[in-house]
Amino acid sequence: MKKIISFRFQYAILVAALLLTGLTSCEKFLEVEPRTSTSDQVTIVDENSAQTAVRGIYNQLQSGSYYGFTFPLIGNISADNVQYTGSQAVNRTLTTHTARADLGPLATVWQAIYNTINRANNVIAKVPEVPVTTSFTEEARSRLVGEAYFLRALAYFDLVRTWGGVQLILEPTASAGDITGVPRSSVQETYAQIFADLQTAESLLSETTNRIRATRKTVFALRARYHLYQKEWPQAIEYATRVIDDNQNYTLGNAYNSFFADNAANTNESIFELYYNLNVTNTQAYNWQHSSRGGIGWVRPSDEAAALLSDETIAGDRSSLLISIPVSGVSVWYGNLYYRTNGTDPAYLIRLAELYLIRAEAKASLSSPDIPGALQDLNIIRNRANLPNATATTQAEVLLAIEDENRLEFAFENHRWFDLVRTGRAQEVLNIPDVGKLLLPIPYSQILVDPALKQNPGYED
Amino acid sequence: MTNYYKQRGIYLFLTKLFFLLIFFSHSYAQNGGTEISGKVLNDKTKAFLPGATIQIKGSTNTVITNDNGEFKIVTYKDLPVVLRVSYSGYDAREIPIDNIKPVVVELEETATQLSDIVVVGYGTQRKRDLTGSIAKINAQEVAKIPVASFDGQLQGKASGLQVITNSGVPGEGIFVRLRGTTSINSSSDPLYIVDGVFLNNTSLQTTVLGGRTTSPLADINPADIESIELLKDAAATAIYGSRGANGVVIVTTKKGNYGSKTKVDVNVSNGWVEADRSVLPNLISGPEVATLVHEYWVNSGQPERSPFRPVSEGGLGAPEEQKTYDRLAFLLRKGYIQDYNIGIQGGGSKSRYYLGAGYVDQDAFFKVIGFNRASLKFNYDHELSRNVKIGVTNSLSRSYRNQARLGDGPQGRLWGSAINNATYSPTHDASGALIGLENTYSLVDNYDVNTVSLRYVGSVFAEANIIKDLKFRSSISADYNLYDEYQYWNTGTSIGSAVGGKAISSITQNSAWINEQVLTYKKVFGEHSITALAGNTLQSNELKNTYAEGNGFANSNYKLISSAASTLASDSWTKHTISSYFGRVGYAYSDKYFAEVSFRSDGSSKFGKNNRRGYFPALGLGWRLISENFLADVRWLSELKLRGSYGLTGNQSGINDFAARGLWSGGSPYADTYGTPLAGIGPLQLGNDELRWEKTAQTNVGFDAAFLSNRLSVTFDYYYKYTSDLLLQKPVPASSGFAQYWANVGEVSNRGFEVAINSDNIRTKNFNWSTNLNISSNKNRIEKLPTPITQYTRDWVILQEGYSLNSFWLYEQLYVDPKTGDPVFAGQDENGVVTVEDRKILNSFYPKFYGGINNTIRFRQFDLSALFTFQYGNYNLNLQRFFIERNPATGANATLLNRWQKPGDITDVPRLVSTGYNYTLDQNSRYLEDASFIRLKQLSVGYSLPAGISQKARLTNVRFYFVAANLFILTKYTGDPETNVTSNPNAQGLGGFGTPPQPRSFQFGLNVTL
Repeated sequence: MKKIISFRFQYAILVAALLLTGLTSCEKFLEVEPRTSTSDQVTIVDENSAQTAVRGIYNQLQSGSYYGFTFPLIGNISADNVQYTGSQAVNRTLTTHTARADLGPLATVWQAIYNTINRANNVIAKVPEVPVTTSFTEEARSRLVGEAYFLRALAYFDLVRTWGGVQLILEPTASAGDITGVPRSSVQETYAQIFADLQTAESLLSETTNRIRATRKTVFALRARYHLYQKEWPQAIEYATRVIDDNQNYTLGNAYNSFFADNAANTNESIFELYYNLNVTNTQAYNWQHSSRGGIGWVRPSDEAAALLSDETIAGDRSSLLISIPVSGVSVWYGNLYYRTNGTDPAYLIRLAELYLIRAEAKASLSSPDIPGALQDLNIIRNRANLPNATATTQAEVLLAIEDENRLEFAFENHRWFDLVRTGRAQEVLNIPDVGKLLLPIPYSQILVDPALKQNPGYED
Repeated sequence: MTNYYKQRGIYLFLTKLFFLLIFFSHSYAQNGGTEISGKVLNDKTKAFLPGATIQIKGSTNTVITNDNGEFKIVTYKDLPVVLRVSYSGYDAREIPIDNIKPVVVELEETATQLSDIVVVGYGTQRKRDLTGSIAKINAQEVAKIPVASFDGQLQGKASGLQVITNSGVPGEGIFVRLRGTTSINSSSDPLYIVDGVFLNNTSLQTTVLGGRTTSPLADINPADIESIELLKDAAATAIYGSRGANGVVIVTTKKGNYGSKTKVDVNVSNGWVEADRSVLPNLISGPEVATLVHEYWVNSGQPERSPFRPVSEGGLGAPEEQKTYDRLAFLLRKGYIQDYNIGIQGGGSKSRYYLGAGYVDQDAFFKVIGFNRASLKFNYDHELSRNVKIGVTNSLSRSYRNQARLGDGPQGRLWGSAINNATYSPTHDASGALIGLENTYSLVDNYDVNTVSLRYVGSVFAEANIIKDLKFRSSISADYNLYDEYQYWNTGTSIGSAVGGKAISSITQNSAWINEQVLTYKKVFGEHSITALAGNTLQSNELKNTYAEGNGFANSNYKLISSAASTLASDSWTKHTISSYFGRVGYAYSDKYFAEVSFRSDGSSKFGKNNRRGYFPALGLGWRLISENFLADVRWLSELKLRGSYGLTGNQSGINDFAARGLWSGGSPYADTYGTPLAGIGPLQLGNDELRWEKTAQTNVGFDAAFLSNRLSVTFDYYYKYTSDLLLQKPVPASSGFAQYWANVGEVSNRGFEVAINSDNIRTKNFNWSTNLNISSNKNRIEKLPTPITQYTRDWVILQEGYSLNSFWLYEQLYVDPKTGDPVFAGQDENGVVTVEDRKILNSFYPKFYGGINNTIRFRQFDLSALFTFQYGNYNLNLQRFFIERNPATGANATLLNRWQKPGDITDVPRLVSTGYNYTLDQNSRYLEDASFIRLKQLSVGYSLPAGISQKARLTNVRFYFVAANLFILTKYTGDPETNVTSNPNAQGLGGFGTPPQPRSFQFGLNVTL
């Protein structure tokens, strides 16, 4: 009997011990650390994390919601070169200029651009604090910060030309309550911020050539575009010239399609493009190509653009932007700028051809117009496309010729809408009675979330 | 004493393994005494009742009957004594014994469920003792509807349970709600527990199937299930604390009985499924569609875009010259269903077991898709001594699915390809070659998407009586699922043609384990009865995925990723843990007054440090009036009991495991120089240290009543659930660089009543007719939500304060102007323009009430049962119609034949035109339809051989049966109201775009019991 008692006692002790271990280890049991992500308290601390954080900005810039697809989409189908034929028929309200604030892609793009800005803000705020080492030189650090300033400038540029003045957020977001009551800045204030960022970027970056990353020369190119938008013609000419004159690194290809055809990428014509690969894919080809070529064909040339581009007396070699596919026995035009259905088409942000046309337009617009100079630049682009010199002579004719040239040269590169709005021609060319429709509506979901964010005129009710 | 050492040896062994056990030896010698012997029989059939319990009243002296229903019991008391004879499913009897002659005890089957034993959280109770709201579904009642998972079989079976099968795909996820939807972002699915194992109910699917997901419950073979309990109110569920808010479904599998004869049950059925044509899309002929397309372009002022010009001009000829190509007819088939199950159960004096094996093969009623499952089940209990019991439960299954994309999405849509093409457009060209890759014929030939799910669900436990009335139980259980998905897209598909062939392999492992310790105390002092339990559990769930993709294959003979030109790989990992304490104390006085208090504390690794623990108490009260003297003389009343409860439960499922953390992640690569991608990082989500449990307070009042010797019984409950601190992805201004973060915002209420009525309408020797009716209502309301949340593309569904969840947000089409044929919308300004402010919240997916009615008739050897299920007052936005009506060239429903054609036409289908709002305003209320329905869910007829004949063949029972499911439906809805385009719980009610409806099925079966 004694043995039984000791046996019971033995187990009673064991029960107590195990229960107690259970209790004390329980709170520890609840500590689980993530493996695929890391705390936001320790983010950019050394050379490696600084470099990866900057790549992270480009990754957002190239996402499907931004340059990967949706941002070019909303600009493209707002003008007359591209039509949307996909299942989200409501997207066509952009083409008819009857878009409502609840249109899905607007919110998608808005979010993606601000995500890019927040990533840039993180780099701008944190990388200067990273100590310099033998391998991480002052210059290397400045380059990273300069790229972030450039990318922030580009992002705000895209916001302001799409929506007008926006909320200027210049600090990284650390917690949910960070953004409250920030009013929209004016268009001028927004452009002033873009200009400041471009200047900072210019001072921090060095004058190297890298077509998929921002360098000082990329800043020159974007400044040329910036000054064109601001109608600061001499500066537009100056900055365009800086890049055009660097003919060691930047030249137009002999054939128009040499910058994209036959799996071309990173060509000498490219000033800034985004690099895609099998892991990070571009969905443009998927959206533009017919199903027999591995796509869904939801985005297509407008009938008018197809007519222009397919006429080689008008468009020259730019007919190579089209491909004809028989559908139910009828030939249908599809766009062929993006055709790599494995998703490796680059996103073309700035090509050398743009700088020629910027300089042509600036020269023609000077208070004392330089018409021969303008025609010279314009004809470089026309001749390259296998077309004769322009016949325009007056300032107005030359500016119209440049507008038409832009339309064809950048047919599917999201230039047309912003060009027409910038030059004040959109209402006439696209038949938009209401001037308010030259800006797109602020996404309705954002108006609901952020009371400080006011809608653009003409979309309020 | 050798006995003691032997047991001690076993003990040490067990302790070393993983168990903690306590053991007390209570052996005593038996000398002398009086032996009483006898037999226990069914009073009607005179069949032996093996395993019946015989107790000498007033003592703990108990024996059970052997295989032949015989027993012997020795008592030391002096005669006379009273024998209490009880058997599950029968009314217990007390027999006075004053001599030692063998006795024959005949037991009567229990007439109603009221005295059944029901499974509750961490134990069992007599139904009459319950203070909470619990419904029990017996396995025999589980239906034979062609869905693979048992939850789909429960539609219409119990009050408070809403079950919607989302499509006609076997093994696909099923929408289940117990008493409404309490949450927006957290899961509102009930908690499923199989033999004490918390079952993972989140699909492991990664394959894109058009927004549809598979059901993890399909891994469980319904044939192994003994009973299913639904725990509904807080008194019943608060013991499950943080996982109880959406109700608990407890599944108990077959265990066998101690001291019973081996019983072999073989059940074989074969049959087929086919389309129910009344719910198929009503596609129109080629010439009809061509006429519409032509009219569309002519009305749009662009007749040159109509292909219906003379052939000489490069057109397709006149509309009426077109042929009809019926892709849907090609896609449909008769699908075969086979179901084989064998169950062997039995037990000796110290052990019992159940061994089950099953195989089911179900084709869908259209090509390519199919499901099969092979399963094994083994349950075993053994008594090591009078005081120690050990046991295992095991279920192992392999589910295989042939899959295809249904629902939404542009590529590889099997069902969509058959209905979203104009019927005039040919499928093959003149040479017989297929036209296009998104061609139904091509997809059927080339589809190669499949999944194997290997699942183990099991537990080991040990149970010991520490001292009299105090029991300790410890268990470890596991739910392991290996989910192996494979896709091969050859160059005959558009997905494959883009990259020269694509193969994807995705392997997901979900491993969950739970360790549980429970102490249970039961004591009766005279009129007082006390039960108490206390315990703790530790639970861990780890989810891991490895993904590999290969692009570029030589040809379709090479299908493994190792043969691909280029490969990609990625992986993911996540884990959460829960640590809990719980307890319950129940008190009953004189079988009249009942009180129960339960409590649970849960700590979860998901929450911010400040708020890890949640505390969930509940109180339940019951008053059994029938036991009161003042009702003793009311002979027509056989049961009357009032119940009431209040308690708190919680929710944490559905949010990601690290939702409270501020995180940065990798996965944002970019290159420094062209051609060389390098790693990149960026912000992933904002943190919230204050993130805490979603809490649901629930009040329940109800009564159970039975009349006329239990022939009519009624259970009624009214409940009010108020959920606060909703776990929500609260939107933040996008200018922050984030879209949202996890926070506790918002409140939702659910209130409703439930009635269940069981009636034995006729009960005679040869003819029985019984009716079960249940009907439930639930009213859902979003009480607080700072900003509305929209769902799905085009924001068709909105969640907004003051409205029900899953409400539709639409432009209301008032009428079609008979003069112009253009639609008129509410809120149009003088220019006919509508803006987003004109959108209205119109109706909701949730019904006003729903339920089921089942009639069972037995006439001699025949039995017949018919189950109708119904919903009333629910709406669906008919996306199937939307996608085939918005442009006649991409489909065309018969509805379009009623379009406006000339001034004076009165119709709600606008003039066909490409401009204006007629067919471009996607959020048009024209597609919102009343989706109320009543459906003959199941009809079965059976014939059992007379006992004399089957016993000659030495068989206990032989039954032939025929079961048909979904024979007909009455509804105003165009199509099948029980189809949804997505598994997203917040976007339910988006009716059936690209989604096959419920099939009809017919099965013949034979059930033999040895």
